[in-house]
Amino acid sequence: MEKPKIGIFKYSCCAGCEFQLIYFQKNILETLGAVDILYCKMLQSGGIEEEPLDVALIEGTITEAWQAAQLKKIREISKYLIPIGSCAVCGGIPAIKNISQELEVEKRVYQDTSLIHSLKAHPVDHYVKVDGYVKGCPMGERDLTELVISLLLNKRADLLEYCVCVECKLKNNICLLVAYHQPCMGPVTNAGCEALCPSNNRACYGCWGPMKDANAKALAEQFKKMGLSSEDIFRKFTEFGEPTEELKPGQLKS
Amino acid sequence: MSHQEHIDIDYLARVEGETAISIKLGEQPAIELKIFEPPRLFEGFLVGRRYDEVGDIVSRICGICPVSHMTTAILAIEKAMDINVSEQTRILRKIMSISQIVASHLIHLYMLAMPDYYGYGGIMEMLPHFGKEINRLMKMKEVMNDLTTLIGGRALHPVTYMPGGFTRIPPIKDFNAILGKLREIKIEAEMVVEDISGLKLPDFSIDAEYVALDKEGEYAINEGRIVSSSGLDIPVEKYKDYFQEYQVNYAMAKQSVIKGRNSFMVGALARLHIKFNKLQEETRVLAKKIGFKLPNNNPFYNNLAQALEIFDGILCCLRLIESNSFKDEEIKVEVRAGEGGAVTEAPRGLLYHWYKVDRKGVIEKANIVTPTAHNFLNIEKNLKKLVKENIPKKRDEIRLLCEELVRAYDPCFSCSVH
Repeated sequence: MEKPKIGIFKYSCCAGCEFQLIYFQKNILETLGAVDILYCKMLQSGGIEEEPLDVALIEGTITEAWQAAQLKKIREISKYLIPIGSCAVCGGIPAIKNISQELEVEKRVYQDTSLIHSLKAHPVDHYVKVDGYVKGCPMGERDLTELVISLLLNKRADLLEYCVCVECKLKNNICLLVAYHQPCMGPVTNAGCEALCPSNNRACYGCWGPMKDANAKALAEQFKKMGLSSEDIFRKFTEFGEPTEELKPGQLKS
Repeated sequence: MSHQEHIDIDYLARVEGETAISIKLGEQPAIELKIFEPPRLFEGFLVGRRYDEVGDIVSRICGICPVSHMTTAILAIEKAMDINVSEQTRILRKIMSISQIVASHLIHLYMLAMPDYYGYGGIMEMLPHFGKEINRLMKMKEVMNDLTTLIGGRALHPVTYMPGGFTRIPPIKDFNAILGKLREIKIEAEMVVEDISGLKLPDFSIDAEYVALDKEGEYAINEGRIVSSSGLDIPVEKYKDYFQEYQVNYAMAKQSVIKGRNSFMVGALARLHIKFNKLQEETRVLAKKIGFKLPNNNPFYNNLAQALEIFDGILCCLRLIESNSFKDEEIKVEVRAGEGGAVTEAPRGLLYHWYKVDRKGVIEKANIVTPTAHNFLNIEKNLKKLVKENIPKKRDEIRLLCEELVRAYDPCFSCSVH
């Protein structure tokens, strides 16, 4: 069997998801042997953006026009295209800037903003059709493996579509929200981290991005009852996922 | 003016982030490091965020040195809000910082730099011929990531790390388990130094002002004074009085100079120039054994300096864990207004964060200067001299030399355009 051709493309982000590929090192040598990586600038010289691919993995959010244009081309030449990590999936940290006027944010950083051509930060599926999501910040190993293998075997991927609370319960953690009144984002955040923060005595801060059909409104109301200011609630719901519909009900400042 | 011959590198591979290099050849070569990583605007959107979100946000500046950004930001915020932390917290932070420096150096040396010296495009091509070395990289990196994870909960973007201290302290048995692994890879670390001292580093020399953190009695990582090889010796609070950052029209990162002076170099080689005598004795003996001498004005030797820091870092983690016991602590933080800055040694050199916080603990102003932004001008100067000295060579050779030089700095362009 011919080895599947893979391309990894980085847009605006910390490149942590590409590093995460190296962090999954127990499997990496096998993985590298099983696929042909045709394009990955951080890993190797050479590679062109126009070569047909079986799977294109996209990390980062889209913040400049050339990135959107290139992304559309990659979509055309790739059988499957998958956003990896919160930036590409839901906007992630780079999208925090969306809550302010773009120019206002730019002015705080650059004296001469005429050289800056930044767009609002949008996830990959704002521009092209995608074939699944690998969530997490950094992306999770389980979903990545599951999705890539499933696509290549032509089966339906079994991705986690429930919230962090499920994982937290399975770990027998005491609920930080109910028992200790900590403002935990677990109820609206997609699972995959194995309830990492609550297991470390810390409220979830939502880095996996919103769960599908999250009840953001109810959680925001709960936070309000607990005494959080509307600014604090707003910040919680805009750290990972400003451009997403799921968290919008939590982003209303009353 | 006549049309100058030029070499253009459109997208430099095997570095963190995105840059092109434009090289105009001739009597006076002209170099532009065109960092085209899109503006990321962290200093812009940090404004309005809460002090206790900052660590989590800035760790996303970099996927290879998240601990450094977290540490520096949290130290700055603690300074601004007058938060004191325990000795235990300081030690655990130092262990985390070192574990990340070692892991970062390993990736740089084996995956990013080494392929150049053996004529490969990347690690995948090297794999069939360098199995032993790559296994060494993987084994060592795993232990260092395990150590970061042990304390931080996660190696990439740690979660237990907050202003005031850690949310969870691991049990003693977990520290003991990691001690065993650290002892195992110590011997491998010696081999790393051997691997890297075996690389044929290009012959090149250029004067530089080396800048690093320095402190009495330890190889400074998270605290100390800013000291240079040309006599600068200032407390961190004076950073803004001595260092100046400015925008250039061909790059999204800003450049830095020491006011009234010039460019400077930060990173492993700079650190060795400033505080070689504070390395562990075993490391100094090893350096002598491989014939490493200072001063060494060849920036390509930043690679070897990193290899020595890998060895030293592992020793240092061993000592710190062996000589301390860690217990649960309460985090105490009182929100108040203030401003403060901090400087730490990230893997690539000096990293500066500064924040102004209002009385509700919300960020009013932020300033971040990364190691690669500090090195930016110095890299261009080095390239200029390197090109000038090698002008008779074939264009492909010049191109490779330039790429090798930039990689020797282990730049992080994503960080530089934070």
